[in-house]
Amino acid sequence: MALGVLIKPRAIKMSRNFNSRSILALSFVLFVFVTTLLVCTSEGLNLEGQYLLELKNSLRDEFHFLGNWNLNDQTPCGWIGVNCTFDNDPVVWSLDLSSMNLSGILSPTIGRLVHLKKLDLGYNSFTGDIPREIGNCSSLEYIYLNNNQFDGQIPAELGKLSYLRSLNVCNNKISGSIPEELGNLSLLAEFVAYTNNLTGPLPRSIGNLKSLTRFRAGQNAISGSIPAEISGCENLELLGLAQNDIGGEIPKGIGMLGKLTDLILWANQLSGSIPKELGNCTSLDTLALYENVLVGYIPKEIGNLKALRKLYLYRNELNGTIPREIGNLSLASEIDFSENYMTGEIPSEFSKITGLHLLYLFGNQLTGVIPNEISHLRNLTKLDLSINNLTGPIPFGFQYLAKMIQLQLFRNFLTGSIPQGLGLYSQLWVVDFSDNQLTGTIPPHLCRHSNLILLNLESNNLYGNIPPGVMNCQSLVQLRLVGNRFTGSFPSELCKLVNLSALELDQNSFSGPVPPSVGNCQKLQRLHIADNYFTELPKEIGNLSQLVTFNISSNLLSGQILPEIFNCKMLQRLDLSQNRFVGALPNELGTLSQLELLRLSENKFSGNIPSALGNLSHLTELQMGGNQFSGEIPPELGSLSSLQIALNLSNNDLTGRIPPELGNLYLLEYLFLNNNQLSGEIPSTFENLSSLLVCNLSYNNLSGPLPYIPLFQNMAISSFIGNKGLCGGPLSDCSGKSSSPFPYLKRNNASRSKIITIIAAAIGGISLILIVIILYFMRRPAETVPSLQDNEIPSSDSDIYFPPKEGFTFQDLSKSMSAVAGSYGYIAPEYAYTMKVTEKCDIYSYGVVLLELLTGKTPVQPLDEGGDLVTWVRNYIRDHSLTSERPSMREVVLMLIESNE
Amino acid sequence: MAPLSLFSVFVTFLLSLTPALSTNSEGNALHALRRRLSDPTNVLQSWDPTLVNPCTWFHVTCDSNNHVIRLDLGNSNVSGALGPELGELKHLQYLELYRNEIGGKIPEELGSLKNLVSMDLYENKFEGEIPKSIAKLKSLRFLRLNNNKLAGSIPRELTSLSNLKVFDVSNNNLCGTIPVDGPFATFPMESFENNRLSGPELQGLVPYDFGC
Repeated sequence: MALGVLIKPRAIKMSRNFNSRSILALSFVLFVFVTTLLVCTSEGLNLEGQYLLELKNSLRDEFHFLGNWNLNDQTPCGWIGVNCTFDNDPVVWSLDLSSMNLSGILSPTIGRLVHLKKLDLGYNSFTGDIPREIGNCSSLEYIYLNNNQFDGQIPAELGKLSYLRSLNVCNNKISGSIPEELGNLSLLAEFVAYTNNLTGPLPRSIGNLKSLTRFRAGQNAISGSIPAEISGCENLELLGLAQNDIGGEIPKGIGMLGKLTDLILWANQLSGSIPKELGNCTSLDTLALYENVLVGYIPKEIGNLKALRKLYLYRNELNGTIPREIGNLSLASEIDFSENYMTGEIPSEFSKITGLHLLYLFGNQLTGVIPNEISHLRNLTKLDLSINNLTGPIPFGFQYLAKMIQLQLFRNFLTGSIPQGLGLYSQLWVVDFSDNQLTGTIPPHLCRHSNLILLNLESNNLYGNIPPGVMNCQSLVQLRLVGNRFTGSFPSELCKLVNLSALELDQNSFSGPVPPSVGNCQKLQRLHIADNYFTELPKEIGNLSQLVTFNISSNLLSGQILPEIFNCKMLQRLDLSQNRFVGALPNELGTLSQLELLRLSENKFSGNIPSALGNLSHLTELQMGGNQFSGEIPPELGSLSSLQIALNLSNNDLTGRIPPELGNLYLLEYLFLNNNQLSGEIPSTFENLSSLLVCNLSYNNLSGPLPYIPLFQNMAISSFIGNKGLCGGPLSDCSGKSSSPFPYLKRNNASRSKIITIIAAAIGGISLILIVIILYFMRRPAETVPSLQDNEIPSSDSDIYFPPKEGFTFQDLSKSMSAVAGSYGYIAPEYAYTMKVTEKCDIYSYGVVLLELLTGKTPVQPLDEGGDLVTWVRNYIRDHSLTSERPSMREVVLMLIESNE
Repeated sequence: MAPLSLFSVFVTFLLSLTPALSTNSEGNALHALRRRLSDPTNVLQSWDPTLVNPCTWFHVTCDSNNHVIRLDLGNSNVSGALGPELGELKHLQYLELYRNEIGGKIPEELGSLKNLVSMDLYENKFEGEIPKSIAKLKSLRFLRLNNNKLAGSIPRELTSLSNLKVFDVSNNNLCGTIPVDGPFATFPMESFENNRLSGPELQGLVPYDFGC
């Protein structure tokens, strides 16, 4: 096969030269040829062939595309992907291995194929570096390495390839910066490197590339600014640098690029204003500068871009008015200035751009009325003027824009009525006029062409009924009429709309019962009818198997909760609040396992709170306040592990103790249990409510001390008021006696020093604490000890061996110990370094707590004061020369005995 | 006939792709998140990028100005990784992604969520370091990153988060010492357990050192 290919050209040559020469001569030639062939074969493959095999050796050729690359061939010229010259001494001029599922690396041997003019390895899975040796292939004109996994950098040696016309390395993982040496490639017409990991600035030498027509390096991480030298690329047609980190200003020199058709610089950090010189690029077809931080005015010179079709300046910080010269862009089809800070009026000159089909000016600060002349844009299909300060009416002529499909004017100050013919002539798809001051009724023909999917008229002053043309709009997916003055009964025809997924009628004056036909809206996911005068719900609500949010709050609904609603297993938000529902909550509520929000507040529900509510593991908010729920709070509520926003059981008739399980709600931020008849103590597990921001327990029958939670200590009394038995924290002292924080310590400084010394000694020697404990037990009858563990408040005259802080009891001390055992400042150095807890660590921590009591300082101190309390005390002892007074152990025991007398 | 129907299929396809109606970057950011996540139980089904804004999407909560303030995807059985787009949700207060299978790094860009009050990424498969940029979230009150595979040290920059009330990084692979400044003075030891942390830095007693 290979031999045949090899012989063919020669055979043709021979037949052309065939004349009257003798057969002998021919035989001789043949003999020489065959001999040469045999000799060559026996000698093996020529050098280029060997180089190619070397290349192949570093590849994985999973599908054997290179199966005929045979060592036994004389030359590689017949090999797949290899093309040779046709002269006497054929050399490899082209290597085309594109789309062969090759992987592995490109061997540096490639540099030995010095006759290569074209190298195409595109669409494979090559990895590793682009070998710098490629720079030795001095004849190369075309290099295509695109769509591989090459990493490493673009080798600077490519700058030696003075014949290079095209370099394509896009869609790789190439990093580093584009080498300055590329500027030497005076014939380079095309540089394509988009979607890599290129960094660094663009080379200034780019200006030397006089032949360059296309430069594409988008989707990289190129930084720096666009070099002013770019103006030298006099043949440049396409400059694509989108999605990089290029900052600085757009150089004025861009204006010298008269052949530029596409300037694609979106999603960078370009700042400054748009240079007016851009108006000289009169060949421009597409100008995409969006998603930058451009400021200032749009230059009026933009009107010179007569060839411009697409103008995208959105998401910048452009201000000023839209220049009237915009009307000169007579070929433009898409103009998008949205999401800037543009002011002033919409120039009526837009109407001169007869081919315009997209005009987005939303998200600016435009004022004035919508020019009537916009109605002349017969080709307009998408018009979005939303989120501006536009006033006046919707131009009457809009109803004649036959190609209009998407019309959005929301969040303006538009007044007057909606043109009643809207939809008659156009296949409207999306209509959003929400958040305006429109009056009148809904135009009857909006859905005449059965194309409307979204109609949003919320927050206007519209009134009347929903017209039949809208109620029968089969294409409708979303109908949002919230916050108007619509009246009438629930539009029962709406229930025939099989595509309807969202129906929002809140805050209107609809009245009467919700008809059973609502059950036909099988695709309905969102049904919001809050703040109306609806009186009855049909059991067919249970047919809405796709329903995800159901809000019927603030209506006149009464009776028991419909059991059918528990068929709506997809429900995530259920709001029945502020109605007149009565009766007990069914256990089935707990089967709505997707529920995230459940609001039942301000009704007349009674009976127990079903423990099945504890199954609602996705619940983030539970509002049950203002009902007549009775019985105990089910401990199962403690398993609502997602409960975060609020748990509100206030203003009911709940009795019994607060279940300690509520302490498991560690995401919970707001807890309202006020105005019930709860009794007993606040569970100590509440100290685990680490996220709690607000807690109201007022007006119950709670008693006992507040658990030691920082929040409780600082909370307003109003959160606990109306509970006779509560004490501690901001409330009265649990010992019933209010006193200054350190009565003992205030007596004189000398005794304070003494005590500090004692405690310092205590920390130094574990034995002291043991003695103290032994002494304690010796002095008190053993049977009184359990009372301390039984959460009883010790009486004021109990002879505790240390003067307590205000409102700080021995019991508090032991509790705070357990709470803080692992906190900084309390931790023994051994624990800090070994993370092993021993009894010694506890003694250390205990000592720190005692020091805290004595000094009134927190365990963690500012760095300039020693960083922690122990250091502070150490310094104190040193500074006050107390070390010399350090008592002996015997003296310490005596002191302790004295202090109790 | 065939080309016509083909054309209409193409148009439908285009319409379903282009976030044409999105007026803010928030919808785009969330939709980008959706594309990154694998969602076997279809919790993100309602995230339709053709809608005007994401406020009608489920598990998304907006304020009255149609800005996204909550993202509730806890316990949602999603996997994949987060991307830089999340940083576009400038008004987000609650980022609740706990108890999923989300892996990869915590994006640096979360540092631009200036209004964030709560970041719950716990019980996932996050790896890499805790980004220092979180220290820019001055409103942050709750930062729960426990039960992931986070490595490296606890960024000292976090000590400047004066509103931080809950900080939990237990059950990760963190190393170095535990900061004690600012809000870190109040966090319990449980918030740090099961790491390779070598204990709190005890200022004044030991050299200031938090390296790994």
